[in-house]
Amino acid sequence: MRETYGVGLPGMNLAELTGKLIVIEGTDGVGRSTQIKLLRPWLEQQGRAVLDTGIKRSELAGKGIQQAKEGHTLGRTTLTLFYATDFADRLEHEIIPALRAGFVVLTDRYIYSLMARAIVRGVDPAWVRNAYSFALKPDAVFYLRIGVDDLIPRVVFSCGFDYWESGMDLYPSEDMYESFRKYQSALLAQFDTLAAEYDFGVIDASADIRTVFEHLRAGVARVLSGEPREPLFSVSAPPVEAEEAASPKVVEMPSPSKPEAAAEKRDLTPQPLAKAAEGDASR
Amino acid sequence: MKRYGEHRFPGKLFVVEGIDGSGKSTQLMLLHQWLQAEGYGVVFSEWNSSPLVRDTTKRGKKKQMLTPATFSLIHATDFADRMEHNIIPLLKAGAVVLCDRYIYTAFARDVARGMDPTWVRELYGFAVKPTAAFYFRVPLDVAMKRILDGRSGVKFYEAGMDLGLSEDSEESFRIFQGRILEEYEKMISEFDLTTVDAVLPIEEQQAQMRQIVKAKLAQAKRLRVAP
Repeated sequence: MRETYGVGLPGMNLAELTGKLIVIEGTDGVGRSTQIKLLRPWLEQQGRAVLDTGIKRSELAGKGIQQAKEGHTLGRTTLTLFYATDFADRLEHEIIPALRAGFVVLTDRYIYSLMARAIVRGVDPAWVRNAYSFALKPDAVFYLRIGVDDLIPRVVFSCGFDYWESGMDLYPSEDMYESFRKYQSALLAQFDTLAAEYDFGVIDASADIRTVFEHLRAGVARVLSGEPREPLFSVSAPPVEAEEAASPKVVEMPSPSKPEAAAEKRDLTPQPLAKAAEGDASR
Repeated sequence: MKRYGEHRFPGKLFVVEGIDGSGKSTQLMLLHQWLQAEGYGVVFSEWNSSPLVRDTTKRGKKKQMLTPATFSLIHATDFADRMEHNIIPLLKAGAVVLCDRYIYTAFARDVARGMDPTWVRELYGFAVKPTAAFYFRVPLDVAMKRILDGRSGVKFYEAGMDLGLSEDSEESFRIFQGRILEEYEKMISEFDLTTVDAVLPIEEQQAQMRQIVKAKLAQAKRLRVAP
């Protein structure tokens, strides 16, 4: 039977959740949504029903978080709890029902991104772990790993630097580039810690989209057929620069951030593969 | 994990707790007026009042889409926002902060809804310990009579209708408030709550409250409010 990371929720029946819960994790702009757009039609061609979901997509709290990030000052504890609300709503109203119906649930990020973001903002890691301890343990977590030097050109040549993804709330005195570099380095270091703790399958995301997809597809195929994981998820990405990942000074600032809708489209989608994925990615 | 540390800020924090109909809001209002007359800088903060979260909570309640988990988390979000942007800065500034409901409300309600008691207590680990927490202890029947006489009806979540305890909202309210009362009783010793007999005449309760608050404020620097 499935398990959570700690506590159960009232009315949460963990029996007969026959579907598969597959998590795609990785930092901002690494290409998660591009890969999910490729995975979904591939799974559907094999006759698998797929639910894809992701952060801030809950009916309850998605819009509220968006508004809060655009306008008000948003403290780190408040932000973490708001995201936890969004997550709980999706877990109970989307993910668990889909698993019960035998779906493959592909989730663009899970609790790990939320934990990493909170921890780099100075929130107590033990507190964050407790807050998310009602989360279901997934069948697999695929972490798209990239170094900050490979990440920057992707972001620059797609959508530019976003206020929150650059951690401007943490480093308000820096310019967007410096801030992005520091913030993402800290996040990537945190992800590496979580990768070891939660046993992520690590995929080198500095490779081209097709190569990344082939690794991911092989990994997902093994999860679906119930085979044990091969240790092929080699970490060939350069190690995260630790000196840049020093813990930042926490300063809460009003956010002049732009609408996230634009940021969500940021993932690189080269033409030939984008065509292949077109139409099936609609939710 | 370290929970609810004693704050070292110059301000003071007084909170009132109790089931609906215990009379706690009336008592806090009377305390508020008295403190103001005494020349203290007093600020009032109410449960579930953060503008940041308001729309989300409203939508959840209106569409009845809140589960015990999301009910708990959205109220924690609301509380965190008030803590980070309101209560802590005010305590730093030396104000007397009055809260109508505090973390104990969450512990009582969320656990009555079936949430794990330890999980909820950890969730609110960022809260500071109040200077004094007054618990207005009242028998269920007395509180029920006060509520049902004074209002046309009780709201869906207030009555715990989300738990399916009874089809009848009054009956559901009774069962749910009874559970909450049990949780409060357990917390008296756990959190060292100051119990006030809420069946006593209003002015007697207020006199008790003022005496305790006065003692706690004895050493406090008075934050003068500009005329």
